[in-house]
Amino acid sequence: MLPRIPRSFLLLSIAAATALFATSPSRAQTRGGTLIYSTVGGPASLDPYMAGSLIELEVIHEIFETLVAMDENYNAKPMLASKVDISNEAKTFTFSLRKGVKFSNGQEMTSADVLASFERFKKVSTNAPLLADVDKYETPDTYTFIVHLKSTNAVFVDLLKSSTYPLVVLPASQKDKPAREVEIIGTGPFKLGEWQKDSHLILLRNENYTPDESAGDADGFAGKKTVYLDSVRYNFIPEANARLAALQTKKSDVIGDLTLDLAKRLDGAAELSTLKTFPYCQQYFVLHASNGLTANPLIRQAVREVVNVDDILAATGILSQRNPSMLYPPSPYYAGDMAAKYYDRKDPKKARELLKQAGYNGEKLVLQTNSNYPYMRDSILVLSEQLKEAGVNADVQVIDWMSNSNNLQRGTGNWNVSTTSFCSPPLLGPPQWKSTVYTFPHIEKDPAIDAAFDSLFKSADQGARKKAWFDIENRFLDQAYMVKVADTGSLRGYNTTRVGGLKPYFYLRFWNTWLK
Amino acid sequence: MWRGVIYRLLQAIPVVVIFAVLVFMLLQLLPGDPAVAIAGSEATPEAIDRIRTQLGLDRPLLEQLLSWFNRLAHGDFGKSLILNQSVVSAVVERLPVTLSLAFLSLMITLPAGISLGVLAAYWRNTWLDSFVMVTALLGVSMPSFWLGILSVILFSVTLGWLPPAGYVPITQGLWPWFSALIQPAVVLALFQIGFLARITRSAMLDVLDQDFIRTARAKGVDEWHTITKHAFRNTLIPVVTVTGIIISLLIGGSVVVEQVFALPGIGRLIVQGILARDYPLVQGTMLIFGFSFVMINVLVDIVYMLVDPRVRFG
Repeated sequence: MLPRIPRSFLLLSIAAATALFATSPSRAQTRGGTLIYSTVGGPASLDPYMAGSLIELEVIHEIFETLVAMDENYNAKPMLASKVDISNEAKTFTFSLRKGVKFSNGQEMTSADVLASFERFKKVSTNAPLLADVDKYETPDTYTFIVHLKSTNAVFVDLLKSSTYPLVVLPASQKDKPAREVEIIGTGPFKLGEWQKDSHLILLRNENYTPDESAGDADGFAGKKTVYLDSVRYNFIPEANARLAALQTKKSDVIGDLTLDLAKRLDGAAELSTLKTFPYCQQYFVLHASNGLTANPLIRQAVREVVNVDDILAATGILSQRNPSMLYPPSPYYAGDMAAKYYDRKDPKKARELLKQAGYNGEKLVLQTNSNYPYMRDSILVLSEQLKEAGVNADVQVIDWMSNSNNLQRGTGNWNVSTTSFCSPPLLGPPQWKSTVYTFPHIEKDPAIDAAFDSLFKSADQGARKKAWFDIENRFLDQAYMVKVADTGSLRGYNTTRVGGLKPYFYLRFWNTWLK
Repeated sequence: MWRGVIYRLLQAIPVVVIFAVLVFMLLQLLPGDPAVAIAGSEATPEAIDRIRTQLGLDRPLLEQLLSWFNRLAHGDFGKSLILNQSVVSAVVERLPVTLSLAFLSLMITLPAGISLGVLAAYWRNTWLDSFVMVTALLGVSMPSFWLGILSVILFSVTLGWLPPAGYVPITQGLWPWFSALIQPAVVLALFQIGFLARITRSAMLDVLDQDFIRTARAKGVDEWHTITKHAFRNTLIPVVTVTGIIISLLIGGSVVVEQVFALPGIGRLIVQGILARDYPLVQGTMLIFGFSFVMINVLVDIVYMLVDPRVRFG
């Protein structure tokens, strides 16, 4: 039996297209103008295969496109592919490419470009393991690209939708370009105009852009993209007050990275408003499962038991909301009910029992955080107080983010508890969580999690995949490898009298956006 | 005099070499890994290791240092890891911004600092003296990032007189360039004005008590000429020394001010480099900074020789 995925990749039917036409919003959109967007910083590189930072990806997704893309509900939808056929054993994936798609240099996209892109991705990308299981590629004709895997992978297409290190299609001429030295030529609605690092970046309307007329309205990164703006100017303003001042003085139409405190200054300003985006990221306490005290699951569970989420959120003061799960609704893999039993435990008494069982004798438990992200520092400070209430000798170490991040990823620095946020995996879903789970070398390979991931990747049936993910999430939270804190949101500001069509989403999208 | 100049230039060479070694070693002492910054916080350890190898960060420290010196000897300051461009071109692109800011700030600092110092000394122990000294103390004490934020709220948001952030090259017009820079330049100058006013006042007080000033007055020279021609000229040595320091401080102070006002200058480049542990960028930029400071000091010494013919080096 075919997995369910391929069915969702059939071309939209005429009926759907008719429905779309009938339900399109009123066309008050105007064409032209330059939208000014002030962000905290600019991209270091626009090589999509190396792009892991939100700042870079926000620009990259305006310029480049992938074969399949993530929709509003985080599912994979066709973008440069018109459909994907998957063999019964989920080892052969045949991508039929949309015809007439052009790069910003006017050249038509063909299967040769897709092949070259996959080959370059394997060579240079940080996410190259994505293609580790590829046996061979085929390009039987100009508009067909076939991937043969060595083993079954029912979620391969789901992995290709990744918006982080995205496997976008580049012209074949870029195949041998080293990492971070690619020419910025994409099939997306915008093309690169001017880029002065540290100052600003200008995107121009891609006059060669070929929208997917058969697709519905914009849906996440998928759907029909209409470009109204002549250009988008990204101004890089690191200081939050200066960014807000730019919006207030109409030097910017949209600004990013507002704090809740600063957003209060917009109260009463008739033409200015905030744009709250959920989901955005998820914050976790990470517990070092192979260092000292926290190598003992009972100690890790004791830490989980003391967590009082509301107290932490009150202290951090960032845009956030409660969610026990590692994913978001309405993902079919969302396990809110199951995860709830591990969430917001606020039970110091139970923590004391667990500590006693573990033979805890007042040894120092090191909580490491950083001074660059105040919400991380504040949440660790609150956690330390909650731990002390349960009798734990908590020692807080505040270091810089680079060292903190380095220690988290390498397991170095002799820490037991730290905190960080994950943005892509909760959005992209279970397959993407795998690499993140094993990003931390201090989280020991857990046979139960390994087996469940194996089942997730090999099961053609979505029910079986769902069960596999529930097993993974349950094991992960039960063993307290990480403790979920909250979903964190993104807060942006914009001028309502100037900007139309701007919708909150993980990244800002300037297609289907216009100036009034 | 030329002998003195050559002597000072030769002295500068070992200073720059020692500075280069110190910058290299200090950066290596910093915790954190540039490969992590480039790969992103969600990258796997394998991906991070791949980037480390690509960048040559897995080689022994001594090998990296010698390789850097070898490239420096060939005029190659290295390539920025995050910008993917040569350090020299990155610095050259941003130099006009920092120099514009430092120049404008110096043009505010020198007349304001010196005249306030002279006035305070001349009317010593009066309300004017107290006012100048308290103002100077405030200027020296207030952090520039805080002053910058207040200034943006007042002059940009409330009064709407000046743009809140960003830089406009002088090629796009004198007024846009000036209006973009005047706010950060004043914020940057406030600290230096206070510093210069205090030094000038102190030097002026010393001179005003000298016999030759008393003699000038006794001979009937008017106060304006006594102060400007006789007293002020004799305060120039400490004032020139402080001006050299101030130029260095203005370039150093640009690190914070450029960040607040989103000016794409060298200060912001260094911050970006340090945060991302971009060793070549920080090493190269710091070396260029260090070299500039040494040259400023050489220039100050030359000015000494011009101002006071008794001063000789070598």
